[in-house]
Amino acid sequence: MNRNNLFGHLALAVAVIILAAFVGQMRHMQWRTHDKPVVRVETVQTAEQADDKEDGDEAEDADDQDKGEDDAEVLVRFKPGTSPEAIARITAQLNDRVEDRFEQIANEEMVIADEDNLDAEEVAAEYRALPEVLYAEPNSVIELEPGEDEVGGGPGLKPNYVADGEHAHPSDPMFDDQWSLDNHGTRGGTQGADISVIKAWEKTHGSEKIVVAVLDTGVDYTHRDLIKNIWTRPANMPAYTDKELGEFDDTHGFDASDMDGDPMDDNGHGTHCAGIVGAEGDNNDGIAGVNWRVEIMPLKFLNSNGSGSVKDAIECINYAIARKKAGVNVRIISASWGSTMYSRALEDAIKRAGEEDILFVAAAGNSSTDNDRRPHYPSSYALPNVLSVAALTRRDELASFSNWGVKSVHVAAPGAEILSTWPDNQYEEHSGTSMATPEVSGVAALVLALNPNMPVKDLRARLMNATDKLPALANKVTSGGRINAARAVKAE
Amino acid sequence: MAFTREEAGARARADLAGRLGVAETEITDESVADADFSDANFGASLPDEMSAQMITPGWRIMLRAGGQVYEYRANRNRLRLFNFEGANHRVV
Repeated sequence: MNRNNLFGHLALAVAVIILAAFVGQMRHMQWRTHDKPVVRVETVQTAEQADDKEDGDEAEDADDQDKGEDDAEVLVRFKPGTSPEAIARITAQLNDRVEDRFEQIANEEMVIADEDNLDAEEVAAEYRALPEVLYAEPNSVIELEPGEDEVGGGPGLKPNYVADGEHAHPSDPMFDDQWSLDNHGTRGGTQGADISVIKAWEKTHGSEKIVVAVLDTGVDYTHRDLIKNIWTRPANMPAYTDKELGEFDDTHGFDASDMDGDPMDDNGHGTHCAGIVGAEGDNNDGIAGVNWRVEIMPLKFLNSNGSGSVKDAIECINYAIARKKAGVNVRIISASWGSTMYSRALEDAIKRAGEEDILFVAAAGNSSTDNDRRPHYPSSYALPNVLSVAALTRRDELASFSNWGVKSVHVAAPGAEILSTWPDNQYEEHSGTSMATPEVSGVAALVLALNPNMPVKDLRARLMNATDKLPALANKVTSGGRINAARAVKAE
Repeated sequence: MAFTREEAGARARADLAGRLGVAETEITDESVADADFSDANFGASLPDEMSAQMITPGWRIMLRAGGQVYEYRANRNRLRLFNFEGANHRVV
């Protein structure tokens, strides 16, 4: 090698080193874009752990492709004031090492690496168990990209995501009162008696491409916690036309009780149900819906007293079917109403909805009676797209008011003392199988966000199998359990 | 048009008197109490009527006339007669 070549190689080597250092700094700059300081623990995934992955789980596969085959990461944030010495002691005890620190930020933020060959969840669990740790979670939660099968924005945490040491929580200030989503055991509740949605949110927060029709008293579509998740008729879609009644300006849905295109809620019940399905999540305001992102189609047939006719219910179902045929992706009708009166016409309308791949989630009723003996409609229609929902208390008991029926009531969900949206930017707590129903509708929407082409038959089966069996529900509901969102989206 | 519990009771007595064809003075209050009803129609839906399945607070008004007890269910906006001769009736 001559002298000129030597200098050339040295210059090239220096350039590579500078470039590598620059890329490293850029990576750190990206980390700093998170609002919350974090600690990253890198781990190595074993071959066995890789084999344990569920076949065909495309969202997880996409994540693996992003991070490489061997790496799994965990994000850890220590509580403010945790000293560098304490962090060093903790990481040493866990056989981890501090890989990097973020300059000019509190001590709790740094990059460390695990050396135990544990998987990310195990490492996160180790850190979560420590009193000094605010939260720890697999980095895949943050960086997971949408899988091929997912619609819309995909999973991952928004910048406002915060945590309390055990669970990652959205920033919505009333979230702590939403026991159905995360039951801390407050107000006499049972810790963990919830729908396990926080785990489900690691895979998806819902999708604006899934439309859930809330067939009810209408929805306050101007509510600040709902407005971003309200369906709007696409500009290129003609207004709805009924053969007999003419054209309706159905900008945000349909009102069969007043026969117009304005489904504004004049009662509150529909707005409450809509918020459970999809109040905007992690927006520093109010509550979080089961879906942070979703399209809620308000359909009004119940009047200001919460009462409505079978005919108007059918009109709304027909509207949803017509919109589905016109290209709107209506996949769920949430029906928090009913009576003991059988109607063949209503049954047929719901059947037609099923033929359009629309799941019909219906309240089991609040008469404390057995629907197998005294049916409650529409929940008791024995149709393959009907899912009947009983209500649970915060103690995992069948609510005293809830109907049941081991043959005709399929799943249970939290339905007592449920906080949700109310007209005029208000929030109220209410009880009923009305409230349990949108919990299940919301979980169905989460499933569809990941599996947009799932047929209604499979969707219903998925939900029926995604429950936590409860003693209180034995011989009370078909599945014997409370709906589990994490299981429904295969996040556990 | 919202009304009070007392006004709901008065309307119930007037309604029952009309249905039975008796003077209101022949109707006595058995009891009036707060109640949580099973749905938005107070568990007293009419035929062809669907109801929001949310627990709805209101008042249970029990009236006595001619040795029989009659049950009205109400809140600030509505009044219904429950299971009168086998059917529910909307009063207000």
